[in-house]
Amino acid sequence: MPELGRAALFVCFGLAVYAAVAGFWGAHTRRRRLSRSAQNALVAAFVSAAVATGVLLVALVSSDFSFTYVSAFTSRELPLAYKLTALWGGQEGSLLLWLLVLTGYSAAAVLLDRKAGRELVVWVVPVLGVVAVFFSMLLVFVASPFDTELAPADGRGLAPSLQSPYMQAHPPMLYLGYVGLTVPFAFAMGALLSGRTDERWIVATRRWTLAAWLFLGVGQLLGAKWAYEEVGWGGYYAWDPVENAALMPWLAATAFLHSVMVQEKKGMLKVWNMLLVILAFTLSLFGTFLTRSGVLNSIHSFTESSIGPWFLGFICFVVASSLVLLFKRLPLLRSKTKLESLVSREATFLYNNLLLVALCLTILWGVTFPILSDAVRGEAVTVGRPYYDFFLRAFGLPLLLLMGIGPLIAWRRASLSSLKRVFFWPTAFALAVGVMLIALGAGSSVPGLIAYTFSAFVAATIVLEFARGTAARRSLSGETVPRAFASLIARNRRRYGGYVVHAAIVLLAIGVAGSSAYNTSRSARLSPGQSLEVRDYTLVYRGVNSTRAANAIEQRATIDVYKGGNRIAVMHPGKNDYPVEQQISNEVSIRSDWLTGEDLFLITEQINRNGTIDFKAIINPLVNMIWLAGLVFVLGSVITLWPDAREERRLAIRYGRVAPEPSA
Amino acid sequence: MIALSVAAALAVFLLYTSIAGGGTPALRPSSLAGHAGKVSLSGRVLKPVSGDAHAGGLRFRLRDVNGTASVPVVYRGSVPDLFRAGRDIVVDGRLQNGVFVAVPGTMITKCPSKYTPKKT
Repeated sequence: MPELGRAALFVCFGLAVYAAVAGFWGAHTRRRRLSRSAQNALVAAFVSAAVATGVLLVALVSSDFSFTYVSAFTSRELPLAYKLTALWGGQEGSLLLWLLVLTGYSAAAVLLDRKAGRELVVWVVPVLGVVAVFFSMLLVFVASPFDTELAPADGRGLAPSLQSPYMQAHPPMLYLGYVGLTVPFAFAMGALLSGRTDERWIVATRRWTLAAWLFLGVGQLLGAKWAYEEVGWGGYYAWDPVENAALMPWLAATAFLHSVMVQEKKGMLKVWNMLLVILAFTLSLFGTFLTRSGVLNSIHSFTESSIGPWFLGFICFVVASSLVLLFKRLPLLRSKTKLESLVSREATFLYNNLLLVALCLTILWGVTFPILSDAVRGEAVTVGRPYYDFFLRAFGLPLLLLMGIGPLIAWRRASLSSLKRVFFWPTAFALAVGVMLIALGAGSSVPGLIAYTFSAFVAATIVLEFARGTAARRSLSGETVPRAFASLIARNRRRYGGYVVHAAIVLLAIGVAGSSAYNTSRSARLSPGQSLEVRDYTLVYRGVNSTRAANAIEQRATIDVYKGGNRIAVMHPGKNDYPVEQQISNEVSIRSDWLTGEDLFLITEQINRNGTIDFKAIINPLVNMIWLAGLVFVLGSVITLWPDAREERRLAIRYGRVAPEPSA
Repeated sequence: MIALSVAAALAVFLLYTSIAGGGTPALRPSSLAGHAGKVSLSGRVLKPVSGDAHAGGLRFRLRDVNGTASVPVVYRGSVPDLFRAGRDIVVDGRLQNGVFVAVPGTMITKCPSKYTPKKT
């Protein structure tokens, strides 16, 4: 069996090399047959990667501990679902998943986007091939998932904290996102290589970028939810380098998604878009590198890691070669139009981009600073939460405001009277909300107050946009309100789907600001019968129970929760003791109030022999808005991703006329 | 226009570093000597671990992960699940009279499955 896996990977490597070399030569010499066979090699590479993945999955499910990988990440007792998802539990399996997703995306992109113009696609194939060569080479020569050993009696099992449905879904989501960014990157490079630098590569990859961005976003929210419920310190994001590794490419992709609209509409920012797509792809490689190379431990363990230097080399190669290519094609990328006014839609897109990229780069600086300072001064210096929080406010709050301004401002040049007309009501509403919040005591946190006022402004502009659009459709077609509303969205998916995503970001901002700027936490040592007051809750500790479960001893405290004199809940925060794994896991108890979005978050920090507990209670206002934001985010993205026959026709006409497909 | 914005972003950046004064040095027990200010110390927890993190303080020695130098640590506040003798942790604090007094609640354990490259 391991031989089959190794053979499949080797075949995949050979096919990837062929796709890269033959693809390049075929495109260079304009031999259609050769280019065609390179495309087919990519599809075949997907099949052989799938075979290799299948072999590993069979080994995982059948607990074949002669596979080093299987014995390292599973055990006999592990439920089937976790045996399957152990596929991405370790380095080798994760790389295999990367390769599988990459070849799958490549095959699909090449097959689906043939229409984008043959001259472009023939150059995309070798770029995808090169990336596939890198990953298959790692799997064949450096980090093989098919290493074998004398089978031990049982495997080492999976850490209890990772045995969570969120942790099953979170890594593949991130990989779908990371790898998905390869497609727009390959098309961008294809456009540069072929000299077809019009907007076609953007049109062909818009959905790919959106999908990758959606997966990255959802993957991060799943990770945040896991951290909130399983890790149990009361938060959901700690600016950990591993978390930042996923946030950075998402921010770069967000900037890219916005700035391509300017290129589509105005033919501007061509070089900038190329830079953004290179940045997004490089950061997705960098994210994989960060989480998998051990560089975070220290710069010294990085050199001990098998794949670290390879990754660093490949990242340098990607950056250098794509920048050289971009530089060579600069004359083709001159924009025909210029920015006419600093108060216009184009300009707000530009501000949005600069802020997103600035935020992304400051995070990158924070992540790499310990590594750089270690390399330069021999002493690692870390930047902590205050650093990131400062820049999230400095760049994030203006971004939030722009989200309300951008969609309403006119293209080219906005007049003062139009600004007044458009922004009067949203501004009035935001100010009213701000005053009301101060009256309610929200002034205790200035950033929180600003975030809420801006959120109110953006929410008002979104509601107004939907209301105006619906009214316009009604007067045009005489439809009923719900029908007009539905057809408004259906006829303009990109625009109104985008507004829905903006609404999700508003919810996210409300949730983040609420839970970080207005949370309350108290801790105390309690004996049975004693109580702790937290804001308007009274928490009475009753005692601790201990029960034996299948693989753990579960200790649970009983806490009666009173609010306004009534007992509203009984909660059981506690700890699990896993004797086999020799691990203790904190099992927090969370009570969500669905009306206010507030969470009561209870942690039993320590259970003492004399029956007392060290107990911590946190109130996280509005934190549930974050999870709600996730659902709205998916809804908005799906609306914009939904196939739109009308738009396809429009684009076909546009690009059919502007640049006719050369007949071969 | 772009140059102006980049300059603005840089200005914000410099403003921050001048106010907050950069980051926290990340040290090992062997390199701790001579640092009076707040540092972030990483190392391996040695037996015995005594005391109470929620009363008088948890006491243990922290040793270089690849070395022999060690320093006594006293810590108060939340203790991560993975904390145990033999594990690698990171904790903020400062050296006072030969004892590393940790800032309450700053202990982080390095998750072995996530960070360590596999050594075979």
